[in-house]
Amino acid sequence: MTINSLIAQGMISSLLVYLLTKLNKKLGAFLTVLFSGYLLFVIFGFQNSAGEVFSLIHFGEFELTFMTSHYAWYFAIVLTLTYFLVSFFNPYWMKKMVNPAAYNMLFMVSMVGTVGVFYAKDFLTLFIFYEIVVWSSLFIIPMGKSRKTPVIYYTISSIGSFAMLYAIFYLYHSVGSFDIQAVSEAMSQAPNTYRFVFFTMIVAGLTKLGIFPFHTWLPAAHGSAPHTFSPVLSGGLVKVGGFIALITATVIPSFKILAGDLQLMGVPFENYLIMLLGAVSIVVGTLMAIKQEDAKKLIAYSTVSNSGYIIIGLMLNDQVGFAGGMMHVFNHAMASGAMFLSFAAIAYRTGTTKMSELGGLIKRMPLTFAAYLIAIISLAGIPPMSGFASKWLIFQGLASNGMMFIALAAFFGSIGSFLYVFRPLSAAFLGQLSPKHKDVKEVPWMMQIPLIIMSFLTIFYGIFPGRILAYISKIQESVGLKGVEIEGTKIIAATGMWDSLVITLVFGGGFMLAAILFFISPKAKPVDQMNTYTSGEFIYDPDHYHYAKNYYATFENNYGNKKRVELFFDAVALRVKEFGEMVKTMFFAKSVSFSIFWIMLFFTLVYFWGDKV
Amino acid sequence: MSYLIGLMLIVIAFLWQVTLEGFQRKVTAKVQRRVGPRWYQTFMDIFKAFSKSSISHGFIYDFGAMMTLGGTMATVVFLPFSGIVAFNGLDNFFVIIYLLAVGSLGMAMSAVGSGNPWASIGVMRALTQMVGYEVPFMIVVFGMIFGYGTSSISALVEVQAGGFLNWHLLRMPLGAIVGFISLMGMLAKKPYDTPIAPAEIASGPLVEYGGKHLGMLMLQHEFAVFIEVGLFVNLFLGGGGIVAYLIKYAAVYLFATIISAVLGRFKIEQVVYHFYKVPLALSLIQAAVVIFTGLGVEIWL
Repeated sequence: MTINSLIAQGMISSLLVYLLTKLNKKLGAFLTVLFSGYLLFVIFGFQNSAGEVFSLIHFGEFELTFMTSHYAWYFAIVLTLTYFLVSFFNPYWMKKMVNPAAYNMLFMVSMVGTVGVFYAKDFLTLFIFYEIVVWSSLFIIPMGKSRKTPVIYYTISSIGSFAMLYAIFYLYHSVGSFDIQAVSEAMSQAPNTYRFVFFTMIVAGLTKLGIFPFHTWLPAAHGSAPHTFSPVLSGGLVKVGGFIALITATVIPSFKILAGDLQLMGVPFENYLIMLLGAVSIVVGTLMAIKQEDAKKLIAYSTVSNSGYIIIGLMLNDQVGFAGGMMHVFNHAMASGAMFLSFAAIAYRTGTTKMSELGGLIKRMPLTFAAYLIAIISLAGIPPMSGFASKWLIFQGLASNGMMFIALAAFFGSIGSFLYVFRPLSAAFLGQLSPKHKDVKEVPWMMQIPLIIMSFLTIFYGIFPGRILAYISKIQESVGLKGVEIEGTKIIAATGMWDSLVITLVFGGGFMLAAILFFISPKAKPVDQMNTYTSGEFIYDPDHYHYAKNYYATFENNYGNKKRVELFFDAVALRVKEFGEMVKTMFFAKSVSFSIFWIMLFFTLVYFWGDKV
Repeated sequence: MSYLIGLMLIVIAFLWQVTLEGFQRKVTAKVQRRVGPRWYQTFMDIFKAFSKSSISHGFIYDFGAMMTLGGTMATVVFLPFSGIVAFNGLDNFFVIIYLLAVGSLGMAMSAVGSGNPWASIGVMRALTQMVGYEVPFMIVVFGMIFGYGTSSISALVEVQAGGFLNWHLLRMPLGAIVGFISLMGMLAKKPYDTPIAPAEIASGPLVEYGGKHLGMLMLQHEFAVFIEVGLFVNLFLGGGGIVAYLIKYAAVYLFATIISAVLGRFKIEQVVYHFYKVPLALSLIQAAVVIFTGLGVEIWL
């Protein structure tokens, strides 16, 4: 199997899915599961392949080619895995979709597009497939709650696309080739060209990752996309931006090319500037996530914050921090995918994702609760889940370079994440079960499969993070970095080490000890959920007795309620609109006066042309 | 072998910290001109709690109580105690901080699982306070990790060997001040006892607990105090032999007690504002001094 025939098969399968969904909605949705599983299976076979070249199309002097590599496989497997797991939810949402056939087709097209982006050998292929991904997701988002949000998504995406297109043409102008390797070799002699390309091309990565100040599309798009597509957006498509950043900064070795530039804390100032943007987006994402009322918007803002970790790790370009950033790509895909999926499950049963309308669902949906719990432990970076490994590596990378301001943001985001991940747990799953959700049931078994697999992977790679890190060290060696050091289950950085298996065993031992203590003590008497201490008040309504609204109101008061970036964008939009109005009144006005003015101006200019005044 | 040492550390932590808790109550009473309970009162409280009947609010209420005690006991194992390290080289600072969070998460889950809004409000306050004290503390230690190139706590203790002039208390005085203020926040001592504020929110997270659940939470609290004070002693006072370590420990803990005995309580927004005003600024200055000048690490006496 070759990559180009895989892409062709994927495209054909998307058409097939479209036609079959027209015949039977459920059948088409099951086919997305089948085809995405097939794609995952085939991609998995490319694990050890590197440097194989496949040509897709020739036209004139240009050609679209793919090349296998370790970093491409890593990103491709994370993405296809996310798509495959999420596709299990598709059959249950067909009834609620306005146009299920288009949804299924675009789902497959965007999946194939991401594979094309990762395996691209040249920038032209990369750009074409990048646009396929953007456009296919663009048409899925309005199938959800809002039709206005795709505008925000498209505007910000197009900033990135145009910047990247410009950078690619600029590169072709100065190097004469679209090929990534050729560009990378040519750039080592031309740091001035590269400095410009670095900033223009990385904008595409930043917009897709949702790094400040381009983060506004994430809450808008993730919050209102169909419930089954939000996990793909957050867990998957955001990582395409990470891939662009990887290409710009690491595959084209920014450290070697920019070695002559001003170095800030051991990295070129260009990389440091991007890291600062990452740090700002960690803080902004955390603060905004804390005050969201809607669970999906909360997770979207948490994606902004975690994208900051990814970009910081990737920009470090070293032995430890880079490995952390790469591993965070996988961890965040699994964790945020599971979080979005568990809220999709809740929405499937209760019809809402607003936290204040939920509560006490652990008694009705225990498996969804468990999946959500494991996901948030990983996202908050608490051992023994996989999220700890990546955060630990990023912290060590920052500590060995002494980047204290970025570390400040990283620590704040890490502790702040306890706040925002706990809120949905507390408001939706724990607390008082509302009477209107008395008859809610656990989701069907097919929707449980992805939740179980994601939880399993999070725990497994939390106990054995070395399994992923071994592959990441291969990637590091292939792009000219030193591979991360692993010894059994020990992970070793220059500034310390830890052993995931020992931590798990000690924690397990501690838990056993506590459980023994618990079970040898007298048995507890179970009581009803309303049977609590109420300061002597008579309580009759569980809904009023559930603490879920304005959860962190006291903390929010400290940083106000203004969306400053959104206000800035609104102001820009207003100016653009005013400018358009001006152009419209001056050139396309219905009144005759402006036309007469232009005609007179024209003839006056013609009349005076060439005169010596 | 390592696991046996770990078990021994848990037993030591229990005996020492619960004893000291009794003394702490006595000291508070003396400051407030009361007689106070006997020194072994806390032992009696814990044993009594485990023997009493209790109520359960469901699975997560029980599970969280076990998770919090288990997670905190696991953290005790990783903390170096007067040079005794159960797992050599694995006493990483970030591991200890985040493993301690397992305990906090378990307690938060269990408390909110009881369905009482007081508990939710208490947990909300505890998490908010955590954002306040944890960040300045981590920034100070970040400077240390950069300075010495290691994040292993026992290695950070070793560099302070050789007399009190080498302690970080003197090498990094601003950092030590921040560390102590953060320690007060971690211990939830006045003025930072907002999360459990008994008169306002009926003891916050603890409102529903009784019997063995309460006993487990009391135990968890003692272990958490052992870790938090131990971190301060190791990082700023140079650890030391068993006697020296215990004396330093008692001094730090009772000093914190005496301060808290005469103070009132902050509101929760005041806590965060306070931590981000003075201690965060001090910690950034301290980290900048260590990172950019080397004063206190390379340049010292």
